[in-house]
Amino acid sequence: MQQKQYNKELARGRAANDQSAGLQTWAQPKPDAGLMPSVLQMRGVQKRYGGVHALRGVDFDLAAGEVHVLLGENGAGKSTLMGVLSGAVSPDAGELRLDGQPMRFGSPRDAHAAGIAMIPQELDLVPGLDIAANLFLGQEHSVAGVLSHRRMRAQAQELLRRAGVALDAGLAVASLRMGERQLVAIAKALAAQARILIMDEPTAALSAVEADHLFAVVRELRGRGVGIVYISHRLEEVPRIADRVTVMRDGVVVGQAAADAPQGELVRMLVGRPFSDLFPPRAVAPGAPVLTLRHAAFAPDVPRSGWQAPVDVSLTVRAGEIVGLTGLMGVGRTELMSALYGFGVAGHWRGTVEMYGRPVRLDGIRAARGAGIAFVTDDRRGTGLILRHTVARNVVMSTLKRITPYGLVSRKRERAEVLRALDAYDVRPRAPEARMVNLSGGNQQKVVFAKELMSDPRLLLLDEPTRGVDVGAKAEIYRRLRGLTESGLGVLVASSELPELIGLCDRILVMHAGRTIHEFGPNADEAAVREISEGMSLAA
Amino acid sequence: MSSTGVIRVARPRRGGLAWLVRFQSLLGLILAIIAGMVFSPRRHGHILFIAPDNIANIIRSVSETGILALGMTFVIIAAGIDLSVGAVLGLCSVMTATLLVNEGWGLVTTLPLVIVTGTLFGAAQGGLSTWFRIQAFIVTLAGLQVARGLSLIASNNAFININYGQGPGNAPPSFAILGERVGGVFPVATLVFLALAVVAALVLTNTRYGRYVFAVGGNERAARLSGIPVDAVKVSVYAVTGFASAIAGIVHAGQFSFGSPNDGTGYELNAIAAVVIGGTDLFGGAGSMIGTIAGAIMLGALANILQLNDVSAAMQLLATGAIIVVAAALQTFVAKRDAASRQTKA
Repeated sequence: MQQKQYNKELARGRAANDQSAGLQTWAQPKPDAGLMPSVLQMRGVQKRYGGVHALRGVDFDLAAGEVHVLLGENGAGKSTLMGVLSGAVSPDAGELRLDGQPMRFGSPRDAHAAGIAMIPQELDLVPGLDIAANLFLGQEHSVAGVLSHRRMRAQAQELLRRAGVALDAGLAVASLRMGERQLVAIAKALAAQARILIMDEPTAALSAVEADHLFAVVRELRGRGVGIVYISHRLEEVPRIADRVTVMRDGVVVGQAAADAPQGELVRMLVGRPFSDLFPPRAVAPGAPVLTLRHAAFAPDVPRSGWQAPVDVSLTVRAGEIVGLTGLMGVGRTELMSALYGFGVAGHWRGTVEMYGRPVRLDGIRAARGAGIAFVTDDRRGTGLILRHTVARNVVMSTLKRITPYGLVSRKRERAEVLRALDAYDVRPRAPEARMVNLSGGNQQKVVFAKELMSDPRLLLLDEPTRGVDVGAKAEIYRRLRGLTESGLGVLVASSELPELIGLCDRILVMHAGRTIHEFGPNADEAAVREISEGMSLAA
Repeated sequence: MSSTGVIRVARPRRGGLAWLVRFQSLLGLILAIIAGMVFSPRRHGHILFIAPDNIANIIRSVSETGILALGMTFVIIAAGIDLSVGAVLGLCSVMTATLLVNEGWGLVTTLPLVIVTGTLFGAAQGGLSTWFRIQAFIVTLAGLQVARGLSLIASNNAFININYGQGPGNAPPSFAILGERVGGVFPVATLVFLALAVVAALVLTNTRYGRYVFAVGGNERAARLSGIPVDAVKVSVYAVTGFASAIAGIVHAGQFSFGSPNDGTGYELNAIAAVVIGGTDLFGGAGSMIGTIAGAIMLGALANILQLNDVSAAMQLLATGAIIVVAAALQTFVAKRDAASRQTKA
């Protein structure tokens, strides 16, 4: 009862007291998964790809009305396991029982018919269609072959309402933010009457408030008896959402834990080393300012709705310093970085914009690069890499001039540069000719870093640098960032993962509505930062 | 840095099928040549298909579309398309004939002007498409019409015969070289094609510009973020097709000794066919010049076999269509297989 009340409050967007309310909620007895009948049983599932033993006899259970978190690094086999469950992968051995009945799915369609829906990380929504059309894609309502738009619209609105989404079903998916799309994807699974829902890192692209909202929806579904497999990299989510946790590594289940297992325990299971090792120690003393903004505002040439231009930003990034940007989704973190780098938006800065203590005109990518700025976006597939090209081609992309004296490609220089970068960033496999698509997310991200840092920038802009990257690779990225700052690089990093910013940054700036509103020093208190950034949005 | 001590460069596993796509046009060419030898009519025990004369004929017959296809490869790798090349070829052949015959200009002034015109025509299309964000398909479809219109105006809608000799109404005799053969075997037009092919292949694989083209076609946004002058590259590839069309137009006028406003109709499709058979992806970012060259020659060889066996032109068209479909299907098949094996990785 109390739980329901809580959900309703969240759905209305009053999540301010999340911490205390959340704890209270979780103090309640939870359905005991061990006593609940397992709706799904997977036993001894094996899958081989050539020489790779992706699954080596995995057991997995799911009860109705349970959130079962599946943790594992890239390559641990969790995607393959979920592929088996969702019908995309046919196992070599092992069995899958649904309500005790052995099943064999020949295709995702079969699994779908059995009530299993997967929400992939790359959401399978059609951007050009409106929400209603997406929800009923493939199962449109029609009368004598003519689509009944009004009925679909009305039902879509109802599904959205049940998913706690305050969106008009007639909106085009293309106009939605990532968090909103995620909720639409859930509503779509609801439309398909799913009783087992597989969610692959649903909060990877979501802000804190949106994630809270999503959790409320997930709990609501659980209350209705939907079994949920929740794949995640975010350990801090586990106690907030899970009923139990299964950790996979190298194709086997390395352990199960209760929802309240300490994070350190989970990290040890995941990577085999302690949590405190995740963040490297901070550098000693920062050097001279690299970037200084004082009451800087950016006016785009063409105003865009939904694009929160920097209105009044004051910040300093010194050499050897990592400065974090936090704030809710849509407060202008990404926009600030795009405007500094001149990516995807033309316009001009007003106020003080200085680099190395001297005023600078940042009016385009070439100007930014010329000033020594590099940018790693939050979308490595869309803007960071050319996935179909080789690792080598990607690594040298931003520094082609160095390997092409007189405009001619020097294979020798190219090879030397590429190997140097692969070694420096420990990209695996160490294969210049490997296609980018065949690398894991973490290694792809390392290539993006290598590419951007090849140009020896003085200021690195990072937008969600560890999105979709597993814990081991995250730790690696943090360590390397520190290493880079020690050689004088200044870093400005935006992230929606607050614990990450707190562990990594020397200072954290809170943004709201295009303004920098507060600054925290190292080891800021998470609750205090949340209060400032979320408090502002409630006040507004 | 890993402390294994042993520096090992891992080799990617490349499936046999990926290899097949990579060299599909060369393989197709070899198959076409074998088929040609098997089905070729024989005279006095000699296989007519591989007689030097016939080989030279094949390459001569593809030299014009081949030149167009070289330019087209740049555009398609940059994720564009240029439908105007056949019409620009027509325009440039008419211009060449008009300037040489009707205006009495010399080669030294005529040829550079024609080449500059073709190049600028292409660049203008690239500029329209890039800066005004109009789809290249539309811009070059319009360009096709405009080029045809211009060539009708330039020629007064008439066929212009090129006579060689001195004085007004005649073209300089040296222009006739384009219709001749070096050593009595190699047509000059063929040599022009092959020379340009070598240059184009080198530019695509061995220059910074070539890398830019691949990057822009592979992921425009990533290329832009990496500081690559994306807009300039996009405009330039259309300048390249314009340049290629101008050269092909001059070759056309020289080979046949006339300029006709309606010549080159449909050549753009043959050029695109050669590029696609050559394994270049219509979505951009992947492809090879060697593939295009082999693709162009293969189409010529195929037409030649059918001609030698007195097969009708209609059948030739059917065969060409079938080959394009097979080449494209092969690529899609392998791409799908790649994607499937990729999914299993995570």
